[in-house]
Amino acid sequence: MANFEIGISGLTAAQKSLDIIGNNIANAATPGYHKQRLDLNPAYCAYNSATIIGGGVDARSITRMIDNLLEKELLRQNSILTQIAQERTTLQTIENTFGELAGSGGLNAAIDRMFNAFADLTGHVGEIIWQQQVVAEAEMMASQFRSMGDILSKLDQQITLESEHLIERANTLITQIAKFNDDIERIEITGGVANNLRDHRDQLITQLSEIIGVQTIERRNGVVDVEAGGIAVVIGTSYSSLEAGIMEEGGLGITIQGASNYTSNVHGGRIGALISLKNNIIGGIRENVDTLATTVISQVNQYHVQGIGSAGSFNRLDGWAVSTTVLADWVPPITDGKINIRVTDISTGDISRTEINLAAIVPSNPSVGLTLEDVAAEINDITGLNCWVDSSGLHLERSSANYKFDFLPEVLPEPTDSTLTGTSVPNIAVSGVYTGTENDTFTFTVSGAGTVGNGVLELVVTNSDGQAVKTLNIGSGYAAGDILEVGNGIRISIGVGDFGVDDNFEVDAFSSTDTSGLLAAAGVNTFFKGTGASDITVCSDIIDNPARVAASLSSDGHDNANVSRFAQLSGESLAELGNLTIGDYYRKLVTDIGQELSIRQVRQDSIEASVKNLQNQRSEISGVDINEQAAQLLVFQQMFQSMAKYMSVVQNTLDSIMSIV
Amino acid sequence: MSGTLDKIYNSTLLALNINSREIFRLQEQVASGSRLNRPSDDPSAAYRVLNLSSSQRSLENYMENISQVSDVLQFATTAIDEMKTALADAKRLLGDVTGGVSGGVTLNVTIEGINDVIERIAAAANTQHSGKYIFGGSNTRTAPYLLTRENGIITSVTYQGSLQNRDITVSPGVNTSGFYVGEDLFRSNNRSEPVFTGQTGLSAGSGTSSVRGDVQMIVTHDGSNYRISIDAGLTETVVPVGGDSNLMVTDSRTGQVLYVNADPASMSTGNEWVQVPGTHDIFNTLINIRDKLQTEGGLTSSQMEELRSKAYQAIEEINTVLIQKSVEIGSKIGFLDSLKGNLQNVKYSTDDEKARIEEADIAQLAIDLARREVLYQMSLAVSSRLISMSILDYI
Repeated sequence: MANFEIGISGLTAAQKSLDIIGNNIANAATPGYHKQRLDLNPAYCAYNSATIIGGGVDARSITRMIDNLLEKELLRQNSILTQIAQERTTLQTIENTFGELAGSGGLNAAIDRMFNAFADLTGHVGEIIWQQQVVAEAEMMASQFRSMGDILSKLDQQITLESEHLIERANTLITQIAKFNDDIERIEITGGVANNLRDHRDQLITQLSEIIGVQTIERRNGVVDVEAGGIAVVIGTSYSSLEAGIMEEGGLGITIQGASNYTSNVHGGRIGALISLKNNIIGGIRENVDTLATTVISQVNQYHVQGIGSAGSFNRLDGWAVSTTVLADWVPPITDGKINIRVTDISTGDISRTEINLAAIVPSNPSVGLTLEDVAAEINDITGLNCWVDSSGLHLERSSANYKFDFLPEVLPEPTDSTLTGTSVPNIAVSGVYTGTENDTFTFTVSGAGTVGNGVLELVVTNSDGQAVKTLNIGSGYAAGDILEVGNGIRISIGVGDFGVDDNFEVDAFSSTDTSGLLAAAGVNTFFKGTGASDITVCSDIIDNPARVAASLSSDGHDNANVSRFAQLSGESLAELGNLTIGDYYRKLVTDIGQELSIRQVRQDSIEASVKNLQNQRSEISGVDINEQAAQLLVFQQMFQSMAKYMSVVQNTLDSIMSIV
Repeated sequence: MSGTLDKIYNSTLLALNINSREIFRLQEQVASGSRLNRPSDDPSAAYRVLNLSSSQRSLENYMENISQVSDVLQFATTAIDEMKTALADAKRLLGDVTGGVSGGVTLNVTIEGINDVIERIAAAANTQHSGKYIFGGSNTRTAPYLLTRENGIITSVTYQGSLQNRDITVSPGVNTSGFYVGEDLFRSNNRSEPVFTGQTGLSAGSGTSSVRGDVQMIVTHDGSNYRISIDAGLTETVVPVGGDSNLMVTDSRTGQVLYVNADPASMSTGNEWVQVPGTHDIFNTLINIRDKLQTEGGLTSSQMEELRSKAYQAIEEINTVLIQKSVEIGSKIGFLDSLKGNLQNVKYSTDDEKARIEEADIAQLAIDLARREVLYQMSLAVSSRLISMSILDYI
């Protein structure tokens, strides 16, 4: 009775189809679900004479509607999207931290205000209000730097912690994927259908791709191998866990748990974003902010150490604690250069300048090289000064109340060396602050011989290279005592008297009294303290006494030469900053972040749209269309009812035949 | 309607995300009035805005500096005008004494009048602005002129200010100072050969003398040699018997020297005022005139006329210096006003440019906002319609 078999096959097929439709509709909103379809084929055909009799319907298999290439592309795009979204979110945090264009705050304004305060002080040297303004604005700028440094530092730590947390989550997913592989293989190897398990596993792979970029390789019996960040983490039913850590060179990387060969060549997903953020983006921003802060510190300090404030020369100066006293180990190392210290004997008014030539100091311990203690010992030999090093740094103190000291570059009031053979040696008075760029020694050689103010008598001025830079008339036409401009800020006056043939004298001119950079590096008479953005601050002795702001370069403390140099720093292109000014460097830094953010925003929008398109494409193939399912529901309902009717008709027919019998 | 739930959900979500993000952005722009709220909104525009903000602050600083310098210079002009008035009064007083009776009450009135003039000029030279001395160069904290008095009368005035200007930057690359060095302002610096107008028979030597202004020279004879003193007899220089065409006579008080051509054959003893044109300073000139009137009270009319003439010359020399400096300061004020005007124009342009880049077009924003609202509502409506139209309703 083939009729019954046909009827049963039809009923079974309709029943199964209704089950699948039910399953499809039930999972219409399940993420990662792929629509299934019952594959129906006509059943075996029998020939009865010339008539073909069908065998009903054969419901052989259930097909999972999937496009593997599309799925892989979706996985890849989704992974990139997650990476970009993570990078964008973090960059947005950084951009908000900088706070530019939002109101009047921001480091840009703080830097401007500090330099403007220096400029204001040029017109108000010695006035406490303006000194306090300089200190307040500098401290405001420093606090902005610190806040920025702190946030970037915390962000950096947070990224490391977050990467560890994400790797834990990834390891859980990896374990589950391997477990699903096992389950799927067990079912499908026996001819079973594990479509729902496949969907579940693929959903886990999608979740893994949001954490880290993955690649999948299809194998037999529904098994999928997974590579994450270039590392094979799932092979069949076995798996390897990942581990995040800091690489030898300092960046964030991942590796197989227990191994030490970290890789940072990871793209995609949040891990890819965190590695990129820590190793490149935030690392770069931190480095740039630190470079800026360090440059501000070093540039201001290198000028500040040489000057004095309205408080005058010093009785005592204390440096800051240093991690090592071996000068070659400092950053940057200090190996040579000269420090010139002026000591004034208050009782006599005599001023002496002593040069400490670092290259000429014999280290007390040749195996480690020159130390701060060696330099302190040399300074300690200067009459009127005590100098020592302890755990809190370098200290200089006058040896008695008769002395005071400073590092002013102002020329000494008398020549530093002279050969004068006249019968009545004229008084030679030198004054001024040298404005040249290199330290120099000017030699004044008398041309002719005779009495000042008479006849042909000249001073030929040559620099240390022997080049004549000026010829000054001190003969007829020159009134003894009149001031002559030598140039570059140096003035000279020759009193009444006479010179012999080839008489000469020298004047040391300083553009810097510390060419070694040791004073600034040791924190002696500095304005700022710190090594970068996270610890920059105005020195406490300047906060306590703003009259210590070293605005002047001459001993009377009236000039504004030093504070003018601070003010002019804002417009100077600095090699440390790639020949940009401090302001330009910062503005470039900020807008570079904005640019990076903007690029990511555009990329995110683009990839988001692309992902949505791919998802829509997948929905068309794999998604559940309720209307389509409803239509099929009607079809298979009708089919079921028809087959039931058919069975009833066949039964009635048989009953009729049986009643005849 | 065809389409899966996923597809409808995705499309709706995408549309809602895009529209809500745009609505938020527009809302923020409307609220702040600025189309740039963070650098990422438009990085290149943000760079320009940050630069322009810095320029604004810098320009404000320059203009503030200019205002301060101009204020000081205005004060300096007023002080110099007061000095010029005082000098005119001194000339008038001198005119009175020569036109009136020699000696007696008129002379004393004149001397007192000149003392008043010296006091007025000294007060003007030590003028302060906002607590700062304006004629002390970079030293604004100490009175630039130290007044030495005897019985309340100023007997000497010494400059103790700085010889350096305090330059401040008033524009990129332009430095100027509001605080003048008094020595440059109130002293003539155009030295000429000393003029000997007396009867001692001396004349200028070939050397360049360093004495300034008017120097009283006393020539005596010790029986063998003539002796010359320019420091009120404190030290004397002996004239060789054979003479000396370039004899150096030193003022032991200042170290300054006067070179004289001394030929005993034509010399005679006596007092003589030696004038060094181009080296007068305002205080010593007036003090010398006063002292001459005091010490030489019984002058004849012709002597008084000569003294008056010399005094006029000296005062005129100083007055010329003051006029020159006054014009110089006036020019500087004019230049600074002009510079400030230019900077103000640059600032207006900067403000305009910044506003143009930064400020949001409110009308445009309102239109965009309305458009986005409509799109947002449409996205919701279409999604709702798509979901509501289902064949399930007919089962």
